[in-house]
Amino acid sequence: MIDVLLVARTHLVTALRERVTLFWFLIFPVFLLVLLSLIFGQIGQEGEITFTVTLVDFDRGSEGPFAGVIAGVFENLAEPDTAGGDPLFNLIRPDAADDLNAFLDAELVALRRGRRAAVVAIPAGYGRTIERRLFASSEDAEGEVELALYASEGNASSDMAIEVIDQVLAGVDREILTGAGLFDSSESVPHVTARIGSPEGEPRYVDFLLPGIVLMGFFTNGLFGIPGAILFSREQRVLQRYWVTPLSVPRYLAGLSIGHLTLCAFQFALLYLIGRLALGASVTFGGYGPALLLVLAAVTFMAFGFLIASLAKTGNAGMAVANILNMPMMFLSGLFFSVTGLPGVLRVLFYVNPVSYLADGLRASVGVEAGVFPMSLVIGVPLAWIALSSAVTAWRLRWDVGR
Amino acid sequence: MAESILMRVSELVKHYGEVRAVDGVSFDVPDAAVFTLLGPNGAGKTTTLEILEGIRDPDSGEIEIFGRRLRRVDRATKQRMGVLLQEGNFEPYLKVREVIRLFASFFESSRSVDEILDRIALADKAGTYVKNLSGGQRQRLAIGAALVNDPELVFLDEPTTGLDPQARRNVWSVVSDLRSTGVAIVMTTHYMEEAEALSDHVCIMDHGKLIAEGSPRELSATLGQETIIEFNADGATEEDLAPLDTRCKAVRAEGDLVTVETEDLVATMESLLAWSKRQKTALSDMAVRQPNLEDVFLALTGRRLRE
Repeated sequence: MIDVLLVARTHLVTALRERVTLFWFLIFPVFLLVLLSLIFGQIGQEGEITFTVTLVDFDRGSEGPFAGVIAGVFENLAEPDTAGGDPLFNLIRPDAADDLNAFLDAELVALRRGRRAAVVAIPAGYGRTIERRLFASSEDAEGEVELALYASEGNASSDMAIEVIDQVLAGVDREILTGAGLFDSSESVPHVTARIGSPEGEPRYVDFLLPGIVLMGFFTNGLFGIPGAILFSREQRVLQRYWVTPLSVPRYLAGLSIGHLTLCAFQFALLYLIGRLALGASVTFGGYGPALLLVLAAVTFMAFGFLIASLAKTGNAGMAVANILNMPMMFLSGLFFSVTGLPGVLRVLFYVNPVSYLADGLRASVGVEAGVFPMSLVIGVPLAWIALSSAVTAWRLRWDVGR
Repeated sequence: MAESILMRVSELVKHYGEVRAVDGVSFDVPDAAVFTLLGPNGAGKTTTLEILEGIRDPDSGEIEIFGRRLRRVDRATKQRMGVLLQEGNFEPYLKVREVIRLFASFFESSRSVDEILDRIALADKAGTYVKNLSGGQRQRLAIGAALVNDPELVFLDEPTTGLDPQARRNVWSVVSDLRSTGVAIVMTTHYMEEAEALSDHVCIMDHGKLIAEGSPRELSATLGQETIIEFNADGATEEDLAPLDTRCKAVRAEGDLVTVETEDLVATMESLLAWSKRQKTALSDMAVRQPNLEDVFLALTGRRLRE
């Protein structure tokens, strides 16, 4: 058994001591986690900022002098400025036929995933509230409602959007009061900001991001680490030195697999600690479900690595194949971006991609979103890939340099 | 007393596509001796050795090793063998001590890591990464990995190729030490002087076939009572030297070097000096020596070992 453990250790220390490997397998995922969680958002072109903001107007169709004032202001700010520059807001609005409550729920999910900078909900009766504030006595507060602003906790882009919206609302307030001859700087447009993903409430953006980055790390590890270890060692005749000893291929494979999975565990621990301690993530990965899916993901991507090592003749060819698979498989999985509305062929790729199922299943198991796929598919599709990869590996993988 | 046979190879054949790399090779390796496969590049030495090491399967033939008949060298046999590969490498980011410990773990019994490090004189480099070792140090590490299980039989494939003279001497010293402790060594080389200096028994291979075998002295003796005269004759060709033919067994001119084989040294020298005077050609860098394995190979194939 000691031989297997020392082969595992060799794989592990080689990865940790080699700077390039260390960067891609451990530092890059951490860097990406920090980067995306801090600035993932809507940076516009040429240094101008356009915030994607959802506006849901429950007060639409009501009557009165102030009905539609707020909505009108946001719509104006969603138009390009007179100099042709980018608008301040990229405004998302429901269609006339949409159910507003369902639309709001969907948009809050999008906000949590970092696809919206903020969500603004104008409650029914809001125009009446403004009217009452201006012309009725201060005691007559019955029936007052507040504008709801939703921001994503821990998302810098969202924080910036809320600052801007606060300023916009202050400007609206001043405009209304001045227009009514009732300017009073102590009064403001009545609104409240709700930060979704707060510690007491729903998951933050970083909670949604963390499982995805963990899977990306495992994926990169498997796709590049395993073919790299096998193909370059074969090419440089490191493996040949092993084969003249009693070390067997199965024992070498066992060692390599243990070393690889330990590296994944290191990677997970590092990302988890940074996510929790530095970025305020609340997701825990506790229980059997997340643990099982993490192991399944690491083994699935490791099997993919063996598959690449079986099909490529040289180390460089293996890295090229891994690169070709890497981006499409990651981005056609919903790991970082929504894949709804994909054209037909890409949709097929999404459905055969094991990353899609593992990402969905892992996020559902840690409670950051409701899963789309049933658990049978979340486990079954990766297992099918493991079986296929193992069969091809057993059939095709050469351990000798040959002639 | 008949010498005991540690390994017997019978009719070994290996093809690479259309090429018959090993063509029906048979030989016996005696116990506690240095057995050398000598031949030029492409002679089939390394392929033969790789079959015996268990890296490759033969197309046909049989190996009897440690008293067991095998189609392919198995794990139990490998427990008793040590192998130094011609081109093998180690993980560059492992330290010297880690390499020895890793290889020691592959065997059921092994020497201590410190003992091996002392033996290969790398104790002071125990914490150095493989990538930072010199060529000679890497070769010593490879020897350490090959000896970690205290083997009864050691395979050394071109052990000194690419090494500087000092490193080569160190390897020769290790081979002599092993032999003195009763370890059998099967070695390949294309250095004639290495084979002569170290070997008890030499098999000369060419084009996948075994063309001669015996001790270096026995093989040299196959050329009879010949003496070799070598000199530089200012670019003289074999045609220029044709008048010497009647007195000599063979005359060869390669570049500036002329080699003359003769069984009558005195008569040949007389006619050579007369030819020099007649042709007004100076004979420089003259050496008179006994035949060596290079001459045996030349006599058998018409080519030199390193052509």
